Amino acid sequence: MASTQVIKSRIRSVKSTRQITKAMQLVAASKMRRSQEAAKASAPYTLAARQLLNALAGHTSVSDHPLFVKRPVKTRLLIVIASDKGLAGSYNTSIIKAYTEQLQSDDKAGVKNTTIAIGRKASQFVSRIKDTQIMGVYQDLPDRPDGRELRSILDSVRVKFTSGEVDAVDVIYTEFINTVKQLQRIVRVLPAGFDSEVEPGVATDAVYEPSTAEVLDGVAYRLVGAQIFQALLDGRASEHSMRMLAMKNASDNASDLIEDLTLAMNKARQGAITQELAEISAGVEALNE
Amino acid sequence: MNLKLITMLGTKVDEEIYELIVSTSTGEIAVFPGHEALVTLAVPGAIAVRHHKGDPDNKLEFFAISGGIVEISQNAIRVLVDEADHGDDIIEAESRAALDRAIELRESAQDQIELEKAHQLVDRHSVRLKVAELRRHHRRQ
Repeated sequence: MASTQVIKSRIRSVKSTRQITKAMQLVAASKMRRSQEAAKASAPYTLAARQLLNALAGHTSVSDHPLFVKRPVKTRLLIVIASDKGLAGSYNTSIIKAYTEQLQSDDKAGVKNTTIAIGRKASQFVSRIKDTQIMGVYQDLPDRPDGRELRSILDSVRVKFTSGEVDAVDVIYTEFINTVKQLQRIVRVLPAGFDSEVEPGVATDAVYEPSTAEVLDGVAYRLVGAQIFQALLDGRASEHSMRMLAMKNASDNASDLIEDLTLAMNKARQGAITQELAEISAGVEALNE
Repeated sequence: MNLKLITMLGTKVDEEIYELIVSTSTGEIAVFPGHEALVTLAVPGAIAVRHHKGDPDNKLEFFAISGGIVEISQNAIRVLVDEADHGDDIIEAESRAALDRAIELRESAQDQIELEKAHQLVDRHSVRLKVAELRRHHRRQ
């Protein structure tokens, strides 16, 4: 049995680890609350854009717009959203798994693909593999991204799609459902979809200035942007809740470990005392004879 | 009429107003209650809000916006923008300094990405500066 000294120092080290994981859990929890709010806040924007698109569809042929054109998919652009930092449970591994599945299916179907990696973990992975071309890497996005980071991604995506370099754009991200449930999802943002389910919110006799085509262009661009933005926000909320959970598990494990080690230490100490007692009484016996 | 200023980060403004002045791609328009239904594109710049009929110009509320879509129906306006800053949150001197820095960045940009970023910054800060100047101008009157 290990000596009490050794066990004691192990307990100390596990305790300080627990302190760190506990702190990380608390930080992740407060960040999660904030990013959850942000993920919900963009809903009115998306709804308004959808309603506008719906109203426009009554005036002009939406499917002729360059962002809506469906072509046979020969080259695909994948936008992978992962995190900059690790220690977030299975957040990054699940996303990368979903991403490699897509790469494999493209490989089988003979579709070329290029990638935009968001987050350090994604870019590290993408730079190691040969199956894809890297179109862009974005790291260190702030927790509450504003429109500016998005715009550079959005602009390059739009140029690639309208010029015909890529025929489809998919976003791979983690959808935030609730604190304990997140799902990896793949969403096609281009060619833009048209959803006729949305209730109309725009007057049907509205005048479009300067022209329906130009307004449609503005709406479609923003709708695609909103989708990518939502994916970014959902990814953030998922990351923080997964990190919180992972750190909670780590703290719990550390507590269990400390309990076991304390038990072992007490046993070792008791063993040592018993042995000393036995030795003393043996010595007394020897003297009495 | 009701004005909603909606950004991707949430609804910034949701209130009753009397007049909205906004720059669109076909020129500056002022919208009063009962305006005909219209959907148009806003260009980056300032929008001004007059809350009550008869409010003087120095009570106008300004926002710097980064372009978007303005949707006017009988008694409501919805402005969909990528970014909106309240005039009161913009400090003129800071904006001027930021604009200078952005212009410097644009001149020293090494590659396409840096140049694009610098361009965006220049656009953003020139709009903000314009709003700050407008506000000062109106307050003085």
